[in-house]
Amino acid sequence: MKIKEILFGILAVAAIGSAPTVYADINVGVTLSATGPAASLGIPEKNTFTLMPTSIGGQKINYIVLDDASDTTTAVKNTKKLIAEDKVDVIIGSTISPNSLAMIDVAAEAETPMIAMAAAARIIEPMDAKRAWVFKTPQNDAQMATAIVEHMTNNNVKTVAYIGFADAYGEGWWNEFSKIAEVRKIHVTANERFNRADTSVTGQILKILSSKPDAVLVGGAGTPAALPQKTLREKGYKGTIYQTHGVANADFLRVCGKDCEGTILPAGPVLVAAQLPDSNPIKKVALDYVTKYEAAYGPGSVSTFGAHAWDAGKLLSNAIPEALKTAKPGTPEFRKALRDALESTKNLIGAHGVFNLGPQDHLGFDQRARVMVKIQGGTWKLVK
Amino acid sequence: MKNLIFLWAFIVALALGPLVLPEFYVTLLNYIGLYAIVSLGLVLLTGVGGLTSFGQAAFVGLGAYTTAYLTTVHDVSPWLTLPAGLAVTAVIALSIGLITLRLSGHFLPLGTIAWGISLYYLFGNIDALGGYTGISGIPALQLFGFELKSGREFYYLIWAILLVLMVATRNLLDSREGRAIRALKGGSLMAESMGVNTPRSKIVIFVIAALYACLSGWLYAHLQRFINPTPFSLTQGIEYLFMVVVGGVGHVWGAIFGAGLITLLKQWLQDWLPQLLGQSGNFEMIVFGLMMILVLHRSRDGMWPIVQRCFPERAVRPRVAEAEPLPRRAVPPAGSVLLKISNATKRFGGLVANDRMSFDVHAAEVMALIGPNGAGKTTMFNGVSGVDPLTSGEIVFCGERVERLEAHEMAQRGMCRTFQHVRLIPTMSVLENVAIGAHLRGRKNFVHAACRTERDEEARLLHEAALQIERCGLAEHLYDVASSLPLGKQRIVEIARALAADPCLLLLDEPAAGLRYLEKKALADLLRRLRDEGMGILLVEHDMDFVMGLADRVVVIEFGQKLAEGLPEEVQRNPAVLEAYLGGIE
Amino acid sequence: MDFQIALLLAQDGITNGAIYALLALALVLVFTVTRVIFIPQGEFVAYGALTLVSLQSGKVPGTLWLLLGLGMVITLVDLSRAVRARKLRRMPSVILFNCVMPLLLAGLLSVVSPATFSLPVQVFITLILVVPLGPMIYRLAFQPIAEASVLVLLIVSVAVHVTLTGLGLFFFGAEGSRTPVFTETSFAIGEASLPGQALLVIVSSLILIVALYFLFERTIYGKALRATAMNRTGARLMGISSSMAGMLSFALAGLIGTFSGILISPITTLYYDSGFLIGLKGFVGAIIGGLASYPVAAIGALLVGLLESYSSFWASAFKEVIVFTLIIPVLLWRSLTTRHVEEEP
Repeated sequence: MKIKEILFGILAVAAIGSAPTVYADINVGVTLSATGPAASLGIPEKNTFTLMPTSIGGQKINYIVLDDASDTTTAVKNTKKLIAEDKVDVIIGSTISPNSLAMIDVAAEAETPMIAMAAAARIIEPMDAKRAWVFKTPQNDAQMATAIVEHMTNNNVKTVAYIGFADAYGEGWWNEFSKIAEVRKIHVTANERFNRADTSVTGQILKILSSKPDAVLVGGAGTPAALPQKTLREKGYKGTIYQTHGVANADFLRVCGKDCEGTILPAGPVLVAAQLPDSNPIKKVALDYVTKYEAAYGPGSVSTFGAHAWDAGKLLSNAIPEALKTAKPGTPEFRKALRDALESTKNLIGAHGVFNLGPQDHLGFDQRARVMVKIQGGTWKLVK
Repeated sequence: MKNLIFLWAFIVALALGPLVLPEFYVTLLNYIGLYAIVSLGLVLLTGVGGLTSFGQAAFVGLGAYTTAYLTTVHDVSPWLTLPAGLAVTAVIALSIGLITLRLSGHFLPLGTIAWGISLYYLFGNIDALGGYTGISGIPALQLFGFELKSGREFYYLIWAILLVLMVATRNLLDSREGRAIRALKGGSLMAESMGVNTPRSKIVIFVIAALYACLSGWLYAHLQRFINPTPFSLTQGIEYLFMVVVGGVGHVWGAIFGAGLITLLKQWLQDWLPQLLGQSGNFEMIVFGLMMILVLHRSRDGMWPIVQRCFPERAVRPRVAEAEPLPRRAVPPAGSVLLKISNATKRFGGLVANDRMSFDVHAAEVMALIGPNGAGKTTMFNGVSGVDPLTSGEIVFCGERVERLEAHEMAQRGMCRTFQHVRLIPTMSVLENVAIGAHLRGRKNFVHAACRTERDEEARLLHEAALQIERCGLAEHLYDVASSLPLGKQRIVEIARALAADPCLLLLDEPAAGLRYLEKKALADLLRRLRDEGMGILLVEHDMDFVMGLADRVVVIEFGQKLAEGLPEEVQRNPAVLEAYLGGIE
Repeated sequence: MDFQIALLLAQDGITNGAIYALLALALVLVFTVTRVIFIPQGEFVAYGALTLVSLQSGKVPGTLWLLLGLGMVITLVDLSRAVRARKLRRMPSVILFNCVMPLLLAGLLSVVSPATFSLPVQVFITLILVVPLGPMIYRLAFQPIAEASVLVLLIVSVAVHVTLTGLGLFFFGAEGSRTPVFTETSFAIGEASLPGQALLVIVSSLILIVALYFLFERTIYGKALRATAMNRTGARLMGISSSMAGMLSFALAGLIGTFSGILISPITTLYYDSGFLIGLKGFVGAIIGGLASYPVAAIGALLVGLLESYSSFWASAFKEVIVFTLIIPVLLWRSLTTRHVEEEP
């Protein structure tokens, strides 16, 4: 009988717990991957939302932040919940590409603008009726891959081997990188995969070593990307090792230690904000974010991923006052106006670059949105 | 009757749900429906059939990927991809099943973990399937020219399918094939001896469960309109199992209840636990894990039985109606040789349990096999009935060599047995238990059962079972639950079950053990009557008075060897037998 | 693939295989004594490594709270049972083991920063923090249903695994960690070099296996465990409590898991959820041994390590597919060769 009581208790509380909440201000729905495989990307994003402006254009902003645990079903469920329950005016999310791709249909059908914080270009390309509602703040993988390939050609790298995550991240990088490398006549000697939780990548590394590449690119995010690099060094690899911007957090440096000295990676300018020349307009915005974040979460805690969330906030701060001119929050007209305002963003400076959006380009970054960074003395150094 | 009212109330509530509920609840109900479809398959597989699977999510993936690939790459209509998906799943489930279902006991769930992981990585590594990034742009379903775009529209499709599957599953379980499946859980030995082809039954429920999962995957793909490998990982497979175990693994309703409970709880916990713990994470899994442990400690059948107690009426058990009797087997002429055993030898490693045993059993005769404990009587029985084949030797039954046949093939040829340790399905009624015996006298398969087109045959089978129960003097216990009977009567139920198979040779393993004097007398009368009707009976028994008063001939075995054979009086006077049995006479 | 690569792959495979072998032995031990298929075995690896990392970075590891929590629950359960049965004789030892010791440990860690200890002391603290979780889990999750079928125990085992993974995330966070290497030395074999740490793993595993052998052959506890494994009822009649045997086997499993975790923490990055796949690979080894034979299980686990290493060279994307699909023929061969004796209904 006891179990029965507990059971009904749970059901009753569950029903109350998920009862709808009513807001009158601007509601920003957020779903991100604060847990699961993409947690090291999602957590700084989540942290960033506590630093976001609480009012824009005189309107109070409510952020409703949900975790999708890096799972597509949950991301879609969260999106539906945000739209139906919280009547959000805009959705920010998700952290990873599969989740963001899965959310497009839901957002577009509800005619709610959505700002993704994931990298894949597929999220906003090719432009169609659905993607008209979708924007994104992180640089496309292609943009970052181009930067790497450029750096390779400039440094006389002729052959390169790739080792990446056996997931959407590693796959996305492989697709972009292999395409661009081929165009630039760089020979890719090996294409290997490893799992986030693998305890050994010796097999893959030996395969790479036996193909004798001038450089190796590791396509991973967060601490797991350290394992191939450490194994390469342990097996005596002397060539250049490239990482992707996915590793740009303090945990990676902590785990990788001295084996990461000399590693080259592309990143958003926010990673090395303090080292940017004063003439760079991004410096001020990026430093502002870094200062705010580190004040809240401790020195050295900042990562570039949080800045994607910050940039989403920037886009909104810029577009909301515009949209308020034509409609009231909570209405379809407002969402439409917000979408239009987002699309006409011009010369907006974010922590990662300068946004110049248009009907065909829902990202709007140019070359200023990426810099090459070298790991030196256990920290990030801007490559001039 | 009241149950029916509840059912209709439930259906009406379901139908009205989307009209009154907020959008998000409809979304949740959609997922609950999708999960419940998979769980329903698991109820059939795990709860009823006793086969645990952690790999159902992979089958969901098969359904989802088939339709996603065909609709996006080849522009096939979703209604055509459904049969395609079902076919693909059936083929894959059949081949996986043929390999892994041979695994005994706990090796099977470990095997499901293995292919659960393998299929996940396969989905992610095939470029044509979108790799780890996934496939987007899956079209919405069209129904009568109407596009099912919103969750509210999809809701009706999901729940209609779920209800149909529930009815079909219930029908299936309440049928000849259903009884055979339910018999699997108690151990395949009994089912096999009643003529059930247990490997086939296992494969069939495995494939059915996989098809349910595939159907759920097809719906999922068109509801979500985007898929990637994560929803089909082992983690999700474990969660499906959680749903049925928490909900009630042996109950059709447990599937819906469990899916609902876990989904709602997850939603709620995801909102509240991070606040409680001060950090975010999938901490609901901690709660689910603890809940599972608690459920398995306190109420192993899950929570549905607890809910069920709130309902006034118990489940309706099948009743007997007048029906045309089943055709009988031709009775062999009295005195003809039914069973001839020559040089039967059974070795377990170095131990010789039966050593070159030879004897025969005639029609219309009671032959008793006696001997001290450990003499090899039960081994002989298992050898004859095909449960545990002989190492060497020859068995001829009704003129046919049978020593290499399986137990269910023996049953088909008219040999039926009882067990030393009673093997009834404790939760079934006496009638249903006995009807298992008549398994081979029906022909209609799973599909007929699910669609209820086998009711004539079912009535005849139940009628036959009732006749046999009456014949054994248990008419007043027809509808009682088997486990409520005293042990002695359970033994008689076993005999009735064997008789329901219409055998010409009956093998009885210690039928009189645990019976009181009057019961023994009644049993002896029954066996005599059977003998007079032309049945051959081979029996193992310890009770000497019972044996000597009943048997026509006796074989004595000791240390696996035949010590003596003959009429009861002869054997009783045989000095070797006296030596062995009574330690000699002074 | 030339000879040197083959050699390096073999070395990698054997290093990993040694860990799998240790886990496989623990799994066989737990299964034969308690019939529990101990899926959470791998969690001890992760807990062990991450606890050590926490200690080294001067933090109080979350496993301490788990130890305290489980200790309290067990004390309460046992106390209420003892009061009802009016048998309080065993309570002092229960309270000492489950409450006093964890509290003392908590006191120690709150006073002194663990980062100041030397490595052996840190390892020792890790062991006394994590290993007792084994018998505690047995006491709470498995002992009350010790007579249930293997399948029910398996489902409980999966539930325990899920719970521990969730707790691991709570305690250690999502990011991975590794400890500094215990030894920097490396040995030259031809052109290849064998890192001292890898050798340490292999040698320690061997020592532990030998120690286990002596435990089983020479000590009264080991013999009690073997007796229980062969015949539970018989052992009970001879005065060997099956719950004692269960506790002991879980303690050993905890010890082996934690020790493995500490061993590999310098050579790989470990995450809160790393344990599951590591444990499962130990399983494949244990299954090759039919969950019954120690030597075959150990050899099987080594084979898994080698297979993994070579397949990550040849087809890294399909590595898991290869390793886990290969269980199926093994399982098939197992179930065809071992005659299944049906449990009495």
